[in-house]
Amino acid sequence: MNIVQVFLDYASALVLPAILVGFPLYGMIRKVRVYEVFVDGAKEGFHVAVMIIPYLIAILFAIGMFRASGAMDFLTDLLRPVVGLIGIPAEVIPMGIVRPLTGSGSVGIVLDMINQFGEDSIFVKMVATMFGSTETTFYVIAVYFGAVNIRKTRHAVPAGLIADVFAMIAAVYVVLFLFG
Amino acid sequence: MLNYIWGGLIVLSLVFALTSDLTDFVQDTYRNGTPLPITITFDEEYNADARRQYVDVQLLGNDLATHYGDSSITGNTWPGILLQTSAGRELRFAAEASLVEPLQTICQETGQDDCRGALQGTPTSAEWQTTIIFGPVRWVKMNAIASAALDFARTAVTLALGLIGGLGLWMGLLKIAEASGMLHALVRFTQPLIRPLFPKVPKDHPALGMIVLNLSANMLGMGNAATPLGIKAMQELQTLNETEDTATDPMVMLLTMNTASVQILPPVTLVAIMGLQINQLFFSILITTALSLIVGITAVKLLGRLKRYREVTP
Repeated sequence: MNIVQVFLDYASALVLPAILVGFPLYGMIRKVRVYEVFVDGAKEGFHVAVMIIPYLIAILFAIGMFRASGAMDFLTDLLRPVVGLIGIPAEVIPMGIVRPLTGSGSVGIVLDMINQFGEDSIFVKMVATMFGSTETTFYVIAVYFGAVNIRKTRHAVPAGLIADVFAMIAAVYVVLFLFG
Repeated sequence: MLNYIWGGLIVLSLVFALTSDLTDFVQDTYRNGTPLPITITFDEEYNADARRQYVDVQLLGNDLATHYGDSSITGNTWPGILLQTSAGRELRFAAEASLVEPLQTICQETGQDDCRGALQGTPTSAEWQTTIIFGPVRWVKMNAIASAALDFARTAVTLALGLIGGLGLWMGLLKIAEASGMLHALVRFTQPLIRPLFPKVPKDHPALGMIVLNLSANMLGMGNAATPLGIKAMQELQTLNETEDTATDPMVMLLTMNTASVQILPPVTLVAIMGLQINQLFFSILITTALSLIVGITAVKLLGRLKRYREVTP
């Protein structure tokens, strides 16, 4: 395991520089006018960033209001008995609710849990695995679909949420299986 | 579905905020207008002509508990300033004083940038026992959701503008990759693996290359690179879209694979938080994400067959 990890560690440190240098270098070998082509592509960056603004405002302001209203505490209390039935500890519920909504909020939860239970605790392992295994689904939807002006998202939201819920539950069981 | 979730979040926020504020109103949580016993000790002798004097403010746990009907509140002594104004004597808590709840909330809601209350009576000795009345506190949660909405709207713009640099860099590099034929080679090399998941993307299409790059960046925990690559992949997929504003099957698949992505290396943010402890979580995250990726892909394929989600061609 250690060798694999060390290898991956090096790989991830080298991939980015390799791309940054490799792409233009290969382009030069293939006689591409690299500078001109690069600028042409980079122009789009600004355009895309501006395109996603309305989508991000829509999603983030609704999430912000929801967080500020205290509804999350209520949901946590509501879910407590339900998830208890399938053997999931109540301590990890807030992460399950917050993770798809906000990235900074879920980082806060991991830090809180470390302070409260210590780095070695099984709860911290659970929330950290939950954090590492899922994404801020609504943000990703806003950014990816917003960039191409897609408003009708079809089954993207339900499919994403199904995967999220499954990952949250699986994270608890996997941690219990490996460390429990 | 996003319409319902979005509307639901907003309506629910209002319902919860209103409920919480009405509860506060009915139970008079903040005891608006009721005097609270307080003891003020002067650092120097009381001077009736001084406009401001430094004092120590003592609130007894017992008094607080009876006043707010919550036995868990503990008393303390805080530094403060006695102000004599035309309106009467006021106490201002020092800015660095960390107050107990619910005083903290009361101060946040009533003070612009400081925490004050009106004092009754006239100082008699160096240790003055009197009462204080804080400004009325109403609509705590309603104010909170309104200001959160504005804050987050601003955050959205900051976030989007923060992406410009990374987006520009990657889009420029990718344009070079396209022009040099690199992307084409990548597509030919990886499409046997990736095309079964995206059957509607034509063979040898550059979108496949972008998808491969996006998913690889995701797997290696490189969130900063994954976003521009994903956006580029979406743009390529949009060129195949016959509608203007409706997601296609490959788009939904790509999005779900991103939200459920396999993590060979944990995301950078988590590594930063957990430090060395991350080593232990390496496998748990790998297993969990592998499982959830399978579930996500299955969900996309199955949900896509439902009548309400079926692709409509204009």
